[in-house]
Amino acid sequence: MRNLVLAPEALVVAAAVVLLLGGRLGWYRPRARRYLPAAAALVTLVALGVELWAGATLGTYFGGGFVQDRFALFAKAAALLAAAIVLAVADWTAEDSLSIGLAMPLLAAFGVMVAASAGDLVALWAGLELAAAAGVVMVSLRRPDLALRLLVSGGVASSLLLIGLAFLYATAGTSDLTAMRDVLFSGAPTIALAIPLFLAVSGLALRATLAPFHLAGVPASLGASPLGAGLVLGLVAAAAAVVAIKVAAVLNPIPTVFSSYLEVIAAVAMVGGGAAALAVRSPRARMAYLAAGQIGWVAAGLVTHYRAGLAGSLFLLGAFAVAATCGPAVMGRADGGEPALAGMGVLRPARAAGLALAMLSLAGAPPLAGFFGEFAVGAALAQSGHFGLLALGILGSVLSLAAAVGTLRLIYLQSPLEEARRGSALPVLTRLSTLGAVAFCFVIAAYGLLSNPILGLADQGAEALGLR
Amino acid sequence: MILLTIAAASPSPAPVVPGAGIFTSPLLMSLLVWVPVASAIAIAILPNPRGRYDVLMKQIAFFTNLGLVFILFVAYNQFEAFLPTAQYEEKVPWLQAIGASYHLGVDGPGMVMLILSGLVGIISVLASLGVRERVRSYFCLVLLTQSAINGAIVARDMFVLILFWSAAAVPIAILILGWGGPRRHAAAWRLVGYWGLGTGALVVGTMTLYAAAGGSSFDMDVLLKAAISPRIQIVVAVAMIIAAATRLPLFPLHGWARDVYAEAPIGVTVVVAGSAARLGAYLLLRVVIAAEPAAAHLLSPLLAALAALTVGYAALAALRPIDLRRVGAYLSMIPGGITMLGLAALSPLSIAGSVLSLFAGGMAAALIVGACATLSDRAQSRSLQVLSGLAPRMPIITWLLVIAGFAVLGVPLLGTFLAEMLTFFGAFKNQPIGAFAVAAGLVVAAVALASLFRRILFGPPNPDAPGVSDASLGETWYLALLAGALLWVGVFPSGPKLPGTDTPLFDQGLVNVMAAGISDIASPYTGATPTPAP
Repeated sequence: MRNLVLAPEALVVAAAVVLLLGGRLGWYRPRARRYLPAAAALVTLVALGVELWAGATLGTYFGGGFVQDRFALFAKAAALLAAAIVLAVADWTAEDSLSIGLAMPLLAAFGVMVAASAGDLVALWAGLELAAAAGVVMVSLRRPDLALRLLVSGGVASSLLLIGLAFLYATAGTSDLTAMRDVLFSGAPTIALAIPLFLAVSGLALRATLAPFHLAGVPASLGASPLGAGLVLGLVAAAAAVVAIKVAAVLNPIPTVFSSYLEVIAAVAMVGGGAAALAVRSPRARMAYLAAGQIGWVAAGLVTHYRAGLAGSLFLLGAFAVAATCGPAVMGRADGGEPALAGMGVLRPARAAGLALAMLSLAGAPPLAGFFGEFAVGAALAQSGHFGLLALGILGSVLSLAAAVGTLRLIYLQSPLEEARRGSALPVLTRLSTLGAVAFCFVIAAYGLLSNPILGLADQGAEALGLR
Repeated sequence: MILLTIAAASPSPAPVVPGAGIFTSPLLMSLLVWVPVASAIAIAILPNPRGRYDVLMKQIAFFTNLGLVFILFVAYNQFEAFLPTAQYEEKVPWLQAIGASYHLGVDGPGMVMLILSGLVGIISVLASLGVRERVRSYFCLVLLTQSAINGAIVARDMFVLILFWSAAAVPIAILILGWGGPRRHAAAWRLVGYWGLGTGALVVGTMTLYAAAGGSSFDMDVLLKAAISPRIQIVVAVAMIIAAATRLPLFPLHGWARDVYAEAPIGVTVVVAGSAARLGAYLLLRVVIAAEPAAAHLLSPLLAALAALTVGYAALAALRPIDLRRVGAYLSMIPGGITMLGLAALSPLSIAGSVLSLFAGGMAAALIVGACATLSDRAQSRSLQVLSGLAPRMPIITWLLVIAGFAVLGVPLLGTFLAEMLTFFGAFKNQPIGAFAVAAGLVVAAVALASLFRRILFGPPNPDAPGVSDASLGETWYLALLAGALLWVGVFPSGPKLPGTDTPLFDQGLVNVMAAGISDIASPYTGATPTPAP
């Protein structure tokens, strides 16, 4: 069993490499469009199955650089589930390259997996960069200018993060996360540590496209293909959140060095995301801002620096990763302004249901995945006395909900437009994409019903990070 | 899956004979919540090419509601009327890490609300039989709304309450956006805004209570019995009052009511005015009056002031006639004010009046908005400048509108009379100023109603008005059902008895059903007044 722990990572990377090589060397015939997405989704599902089966085995590998614990199990399972569904649900006629489009979600998921299993600062950073690089590649296929912008902003984020991590390393004298936490128990919060950590938090916020650090991420997601948008908004942000959770757990003994910044950032993200979602009219932009608002809730959970808060953040992160990654892909080509969605409920019922559920879940509407996650974070905020942040979060959720209702109106209440007036075609129907949309709906709707074991696992994940 | 878990987890006595005890099933409350959801899903996935099966969709919605009323009838009749604790309880751990459980159950006031919700549900379907566009979506959303309302009523865990309380807003907003009148957009966004504010206040209040009670459970049995400081009680109570005021609605958080009641389709208006809005008072009863006596005592003058302002404002606004549906909207706010007065008075009698007013006031509010909307539809105009002298041409609607007006005012023989009598008897002692103000508001409302009737029903006919027709059979049925329920409770508050005996026939009486729960809720207010600590 111990030998199988690395099997999911190996499967995912091998599949991505084969897909990239095959695309580069021209191995695939045009017919491949039919079966390759299904095969890639199947491989990811197998990796998810192996992870759930063998991932419960605890252990450390590569001299402590790779840790398999409950936190890693939860985060990796969420990333793999999101990747499997997005590969199935994507409208491949709307993507620019089949092989790259199939490989990049796998690599982004691999990045999240590396960050989730990271035992030291280097692996943590490497995982985040890998996921972010996959996002840049996807954006560059359609909009090189936006990819360049994303790359530059990502570089800035990376350097801010590195400065913070370097100072953390200098303070603790070790890059091992467990040892670092032990050292910080006897340490004291200092300005010298607080300033670089401010930079690190800013870097992570930039990566996670948290408002107001969404200036590169959201425009890039608007210009990218549906799959690319899902990667930037979902898996890359999830990778940043995983890094943030692990860093917050390390800094748990001295939370004052970062919690004030994070509180402000979370508040701005939750309210700003909801307000911006209400203000914009484009469905893709609305989804991007809803995602920015919900990742603010994930950040809010970290402010508590309690086990319940981090567990709530992790629980919500699972819901967020699936909804934000798959949401744009479910929307497919119908992202060209409001008229494109008109009557989608009649023309593409499964996808329309998926899109509606993605929007509502990102807005935190009951009884969907996002609501349960936000409620768990809210309970932790109340336990830790952060009632102001809780109130702002609720305000953001109400704004988000109003925005989501606006999109639902388009999907279900407006009559379908003629194709010529629509401006862009609806997503192409295939058996796989319909199955993917149904699976996506099931996951978003059942997350709450099955929330007891899922939140239990998230709680164990927070405990595995050393929190009590 | 959750139903199977409950069935496995909840102890249920083995039936002696096949079929015996089937209606004491531990799933009874879950059935009330999830059967409408299952029907909504069935409607959503049923093929309906070119609307061929629109009638089938309506039938599914109707028979689902009929089934729910049947389940409710059984539950009502098997309800242990003098047991103060919750009955038909179901409890399964849900989010154990934060102490949330799937805990349902119902006590006397809850049963009254369930009966209200069940009747309003079937009436709403009857009122919606005329819907022609997007029938599938409409009835799907109506069923989801009913499920959310039932869930909020039977919730015994604050997490479950928040879940269902907030879940009602989305389908109602979409129903208004899709099938509402000309100002439907404003109505829907106002509803989302105000109800969102109320949900926010409910969440903040609940979280405050949760943190103060140790942060281990959201179960009402734990949260509402926790010993918390009077200051925290006041914070929680203020949050709950805001939540309740946005729903009931109470002045000054009533901004959504006029537009929603005036613009929503009739079936939706009936549900919102009848049962969804009553959840506000039910929340206050359950969380503030029953559990936070110190805060309730301190804030009771505020509650009385809100009641008086609501009734006074609604009555004065109804005097300014422009639009018939708006007049109906304002008048439908009055029963909520009376319910609030009963809660403010904090005496067993007034609380009993409030609980009865939940039912009777809900029915009266649904009847007045329904009658005004139906009359507007049938007269092809809602302008009071146009409508005049309709009584000879619309005799059925005239009767029903007059009964609706009487119900709002609380005329004898109607359920609202009994509710108002209990409320005022209790309130004149503890909240005399508030009670006088509400009574004065009712006088103004009577003037407004008299003026309305004189103008549109008994005035000279307007030759320039569009053609009118009387209520259809479906419309007559749904309005008559509302009126009949009010009459039934007004005439038989303790249920009909065999002549010369105390043996109830088929109805043990709404007053008896609610009695035990009320004695438990009102127990802090029967003795000396607790004084809050500084």
